[in-house]
Amino acid sequence: MTELGNWLDERVGWRQIWDTIFLRKVPKINWFYALGSASLFLAINQGITGILLTIYYVPTPDHAYDSVQFITTQLPAGWLIRGLHHWGASAMVIVVILHMVRVILYGAYKYPRELTWFTGVFLLLVVVGFGFTGYLLPWDQKAFWATTVGTLIAGTPPVIGDWILRVIRGGQDISAITLARFFGVHVWVLPSALSILIAVHMYLVVKIGISAVPKRVRKNNEREG
Amino acid sequence: MSEEKEVSRRDFLGVSILVMGGLIGLGFLVPAIAYIIGPALGRKESQEWIRLGSTSKVEVGTPTLFKVKIEQQTGWIVNEEELSVYVLTEDGREYIAMSNVCTHLGCRVRWISDENKFFCPCHNAIFDERGFVVSGPPPNPLYRYEVMVEEDQLFIKEI
Repeated sequence: MTELGNWLDERVGWRQIWDTIFLRKVPKINWFYALGSASLFLAINQGITGILLTIYYVPTPDHAYDSVQFITTQLPAGWLIRGLHHWGASAMVIVVILHMVRVILYGAYKYPRELTWFTGVFLLLVVVGFGFTGYLLPWDQKAFWATTVGTLIAGTPPVIGDWILRVIRGGQDISAITLARFFGVHVWVLPSALSILIAVHMYLVVKIGISAVPKRVRKNNEREG
Repeated sequence: MSEEKEVSRRDFLGVSILVMGGLIGLGFLVPAIAYIIGPALGRKESQEWIRLGSTSKVEVGTPTLFKVKIEQQTGWIVNEEELSVYVLTEDGREYIAMSNVCTHLGCRVRWISDENKFFCPCHNAIFDERGFVVSGPPPNPLYRYEVMVEEDQLFIKEI
């Protein structure tokens, strides 16, 4: 095993990369710092279970609902795969927001980590986009009406509102076109964006290093209390 | 003092991470495999008796054609299919039910009463009234269903 590792290391130099990522120095931190890793774990979970769901899911009005029901009730472990994706999605939004709150409260967004923060903001938008597009895919009543409301909200800006609404829906009504484009965005556009942003975000985390827990500094003339 | 090598904190955590990661990985892998190969495991679903019709329709000594509609489910889609079955009886008690699908390449055979034979239009295969090959390329006799007679009604089932 070590020999194989050495053989590979001579040729690709993986040990240096491994050590840089996993053996880097970190300050004394607490469990709140695990929220970023938890977000990454959930993202991987969504990726694996999402890919598995596309094996059976069909994004057309004729088949979307029935194929989801087939996955949930007929396939071995289908309920588990869909359940992990469904609950993982909600968990993802919660954990990502908690991660952001930690960064805000610890002031970890400050110099020199502004770009990490910016990519994080876009990551949050991507996660919300995943939630919005994924919600329509089961094509049940809840999905249909939630998307009706959501797209109407997107259509509220003056002048260009109606145009935005039509672009999102692919026409005036929620139709087969809406379902197909939500699916396309959900499985191609957003995963690509997420992967790139995660890569940049994590490069910066490794490169700059993580911030320490901020200390309360008391000035001499300040009273304790 | 014991000569045992003490397990360092670093090694312990490393092994713990490996074990937990492995368990989580298995937790994904095992359901994923079951999920992917699931539909391939189910054998033919139509293991139920299919009602063909009354035995009185069957002429003694002549294969009689029955056509029944059956519902076939694949995944979440239900298709209606027509099943054509020739039923032969020589004594009014024992029945044989044969599929009209030629065992060569799946064309439909027809009973030609003048010749007392089944003919397949595709490659001139000929079967006798009991479904055995008389001439032509088919490797096997016509497929036979399991037959059950209940209150003068014929039922068949795939074997």
